[in-house]
Amino acid sequence: MSCFFEEDLTAYVDGELPPARRAQVEAHLGTCAGCRATHALLSNAVTRLTELPAFEPSPATRRAVLAKLDALPEPWWERLKRLLRPSVLVPSVGLAAAVAVALLVVSPGPDAPPELADPAVMELAANLEVAEDYELLGLDSAEDLEVVANLHELEVAQ
Amino acid sequence: MSDVDVDSDAQAMLKVAAGDRQAFAWLFDRYHGSVARFAFRFVGDRERAEELTQDIFVKLYRNAKAYKPTARFKTFLFRVATNHCLNEVRRGEYRVSHTSSETPEGEETGAVEMAGPDGDMPDQALAGRELERAVGEALRNMSDRERAAFTMCRFEGMAYRDIAEALEASEAAVKSLIHRATLAVARRIEELQAGTAPARSRA
Repeated sequence: MSCFFEEDLTAYVDGELPPARRAQVEAHLGTCAGCRATHALLSNAVTRLTELPAFEPSPATRRAVLAKLDALPEPWWERLKRLLRPSVLVPSVGLAAAVAVALLVVSPGPDAPPELADPAVMELAANLEVAEDYELLGLDSAEDLEVVANLHELEVAQ
Repeated sequence: MSDVDVDSDAQAMLKVAAGDRQAFAWLFDRYHGSVARFAFRFVGDRERAEELTQDIFVKLYRNAKAYKPTARFKTFLFRVATNHCLNEVRRGEYRVSHTSSETPEGEETGAVEMAGPDGDMPDQALAGRELERAVGEALRNMSDRERAAFTMCRFEGMAYRDIAEALEASEAAVKSLIHRATLAVARRIEELQAGTAPARSRA
């Protein structure tokens, strides 16, 4: 039933066809009753659609949108811009310089011992004098050292 | 719309990208109605259309930096609007509800009020409501992309080329979408005029 030209009829009604194709469709309409009927159907619909009233949005939408913008988190580039303002940047540079100097002064030299990360080793390091005192007893764990360090309490309890 | 208008839209959008709220308010006032009409015809519900419109403008503001003045502002805006509406419907956030047959008589929540206060030209008002319902039903039964293309074409008067850009489709595809959609609406209107349209209790 569908004619080869049918697909172009709406574009023809809308004035969206290039001139050459438009002329072909026009010529075809003179010979094809089916397309003439479809063309009339489409034209009528396009006209009737203009009778529909336009949707009028609520004036409250403007207020709602602007409120939503106010609630938006500040974008990263704005935060960065704020941080780079001279009034923030200048004192910050001074502070950063002071921190850098302080780090240079107190930073450990090349002979600094390796960092002690193991908690048990740290415990031993904190109680090194006790460990030295009881080295001969063969005590090497933090628990043993604690028992030894609190021996006087055991004695009082007895 | 003149070239001057187009240019001032682009200038305003560039200001929005730089965080200018006044420029945003100007663009909002200029295009709010268009976006709301599009959203309303797309989902067929006044309240949802308002929500979608708000979301679209917030999205526009947040993505203002993505705008390049080489694209017409209205096309850019409708790309944002179309993507947002298509995604929301796809995600199931909104069901397309157009003047549903389930709507009780007299409770036209989704429909636009037609001409005249009570008693004023009742025949014309009734005819208008019937037309609104017929068009609404046709819109509800078409694909999301057909509805989007049809709405931009018939209610916003956008050119096929601009609709193609907004939908990220070819002009040939848009021509086809608009033809199918217009034909579907035309058949509903024909049924209505012939008095063979399904009554409101049917669909």
